[in-house]
Amino acid sequence: MKKLLFGFLIGLLLIQNHPAGASAPQKGGNLIVCQPAEPPGLDPTANTAAAIDRVVYSNIYEGLVKVDRDGKYIPGLATMWDLSAEGKVYTFNLRKGVRFHNGESFNSQVAKWNIERAKGEGTVNPHPEYFRGIDKIETPDEQTLILTLKDVDALFITHMAEGDAVMLPMNGYETAKSNPVGTGPFKFTKWVPGDRVEMVRNDAYWNPHLPYLDKVTFKFIGDPSAQLAALKAGDIDVIGYIAAPESAMELSKDKRFKVYAGTTTGEVIMSTNNKAKPFDNKLVRQAMAHAIDRKMVIDLVMFGYGTSIGSHWSPSTPYYKDLTGKFPYNPDKAKHLLAEAGYADGFEATIKLPAIYSYSKRAGIVIADLLKDVGIKLNIEIVEWGQWIERIFKKKEYQLTMIGHVEAWDIGIYANPNYYFQYDSQEFRDAYAMALKAPNESEKAKWFGICQEIIAEDAVNGFLFSAPSLAVMKQRVVNWWENYPTIALDCTEVWLKN
Amino acid sequence: MSRYLITKLITLILLLFLVSITVFSVLFVLPGDPAQIILGINATPETLENLRSELGLNQPFMAQYLDWIGNLLSGEGNRSINYDIPVSELIISRLKVTGPLALLAMCFAILISIPLGIYAAQHQNRPTDVLVMFFTQIGLATPDFWLGMLLIMLMAVKLGLFSAGGFPGWEAGFWSSIKALLLPAFALGMIRASVLTRLTRSSMLEVLNEDYVKTARAKGVHERGVVYGHALRNAMVPIITIMGLQLGQLVAGAIIIENVFYLPGLGRLVFQAIGQRDLPVVRDIVLFMAAAIVIINILVDMSYVYFDPRIRHE
Repeated sequence: MKKLLFGFLIGLLLIQNHPAGASAPQKGGNLIVCQPAEPPGLDPTANTAAAIDRVVYSNIYEGLVKVDRDGKYIPGLATMWDLSAEGKVYTFNLRKGVRFHNGESFNSQVAKWNIERAKGEGTVNPHPEYFRGIDKIETPDEQTLILTLKDVDALFITHMAEGDAVMLPMNGYETAKSNPVGTGPFKFTKWVPGDRVEMVRNDAYWNPHLPYLDKVTFKFIGDPSAQLAALKAGDIDVIGYIAAPESAMELSKDKRFKVYAGTTTGEVIMSTNNKAKPFDNKLVRQAMAHAIDRKMVIDLVMFGYGTSIGSHWSPSTPYYKDLTGKFPYNPDKAKHLLAEAGYADGFEATIKLPAIYSYSKRAGIVIADLLKDVGIKLNIEIVEWGQWIERIFKKKEYQLTMIGHVEAWDIGIYANPNYYFQYDSQEFRDAYAMALKAPNESEKAKWFGICQEIIAEDAVNGFLFSAPSLAVMKQRVVNWWENYPTIALDCTEVWLKN
Repeated sequence: MSRYLITKLITLILLLFLVSITVFSVLFVLPGDPAQIILGINATPETLENLRSELGLNQPFMAQYLDWIGNLLSGEGNRSINYDIPVSELIISRLKVTGPLALLAMCFAILISIPLGIYAAQHQNRPTDVLVMFFTQIGLATPDFWLGMLLIMLMAVKLGLFSAGGFPGWEAGFWSSIKALLLPAFALGMIRASVLTRLTRSSMLEVLNEDYVKTARAKGVHERGVVYGHALRNAMVPIITIMGLQLGQLVAGAIIIENVFYLPGLGRLVFQAIGQRDLPVVRDIVLFMAAAIVIINILVDMSYVYFDPRIRHE
């Protein structure tokens, strides 16, 4: 309780006094943000695509809890929350006088309806399990929401802060995909398919000091060179995240722009089929871990941007444990382990790389080269995204692949033996269950730490690097997020210097 | 003529029927579960199943096909999975970009190629002809998107005369929209002009040696009248044929140039829809493109009569 209240106070401070500090924010202006991918619809409760959250999360839609730029959970539509001693009953105090952009009021009934919709039968929320743990929803009055869980869930607040848990209005939720109506600082005005999404300042926002901008436009430019040209020609103000790291390098030398190289929640891994020969042998996987020089991978694939990881956990997520020293780059040790596993002469394998991600193709080539040094010959096969989903992800017809897992707090995928890694460890499942039921911070840190250690020791996948967040903007753009502890391009506190 | 039109119309309908079956079957067996692609790799099986039944993906092949065709024939239309708006609306809004872009590109191509081709034919094997042929050779070897990128670098980034891409929309004003299309249309047009210039030249050379041209000259028609009045009209048939093909190509496949200039055109829409498995959009657009190409070809056929009255469509 004390900690929650403390977090709440910090949140309050952050909202009222700006961390940018030095100069007072200026109001007004139209910000044009470029992001590569056009979102497939604008409803984050019906689709996990990161492109959706980047446009709407905290801009148009808000949930009970928000994530701030340091990764802390701060009040969103709930001004504070209280957790009962045994860790099962959450009492949320909801903000007064909040209205959706269409005029509907937000209250405990609306919140209840949203949760029931997400957990109910026929739900198309990609993560109904976030809500299924809720046993009872009570609304003693308009401003109070009491959620009783079946069991302790250490990630409950985390999940309530995700795009899957934003609040939709009871009238008008049907058109959320094409005409989103939320409570956020910006009101949706127009979506020109294939081109841009426009939103304007919500004058009735619950925080009267925010937002600063009059208008935000998200422009979708996929081609990396077209993005750069648009920025240099002055057509756009910010590139929210750069698809090609070499561009960041070039732009960082240009005085007109500033480059932020922050952290994200994503981990790029060489996913390994733990049931396919010879990768079912732990020694082989450990040998590969020793054979990969992560620094070289980051230098060659990401031009030096990115942070090495030793497990499936981003350094920007709480309870991170640095395990990068567990399998240091050591080709001799790798050969030794391979010999021990019975592959003294090495072996041949295939790595299937999804065509849509250039980092994945580049990393595949670098790793094939590194593994060659220890006698593992990798054949590279490029597959289209639909094929990747079908053959690799669903049918598990692969040995190795390369992909970024962007969601935070997703280590639970290792507890599922049917997931495409096909990693089956009772030890991990037990540890993860303990972590989920951890009643306090120190227990959480301990068990999530153990989870990270187990999969690192088993070298389930090739843990490579945490993807960098590379944003470039004109010098006049102030208060843009440097790190992305959640999937969002939150423009609430961004302003333009004249 | 009317009989000709009726035959062509029947061919069009049969063709569309075949295209519809082909595109539907190909997309049906295409790997990649649309529900999984939409929901992402961490979605639960239950949600996937719910979405599949919502999208009708659980239905057997025939039921899905009839549902699709039925929606088209009844005029109800299909809805895009991603945008959640009618596909027809999407196609129309994209055509407002792709159509003018294709026409503008063809205008550039024609304005450059016809005079240049005629000039080269009149000066056959002289240094100016060699020079023209040299430039068309370069044009043939240049990819249009590369020319587009060079234009962006020069005109938008260095000189700041144009924006680097994008399309403001016709409601933002006629001229600003035309301006947004000028660079990509020029890049597309230049490359097509190379083909047409060579074609105009050879076609003109052939015609200029015909007897009726000699006759025209003999009866004292001045050179300009001979070239534009008599020769060009007869030389147009092969040129028009290629122009028709080029126009069809531009409507269907300016994908790369649309990406370079980030124009919200038809090509980019279908490309993105394939990647995201927005199947109703892919199917409808493929059908639309097939129809467009057939109709352009019919128009080309009909224009032959104007250029060469000896041709009759019976």
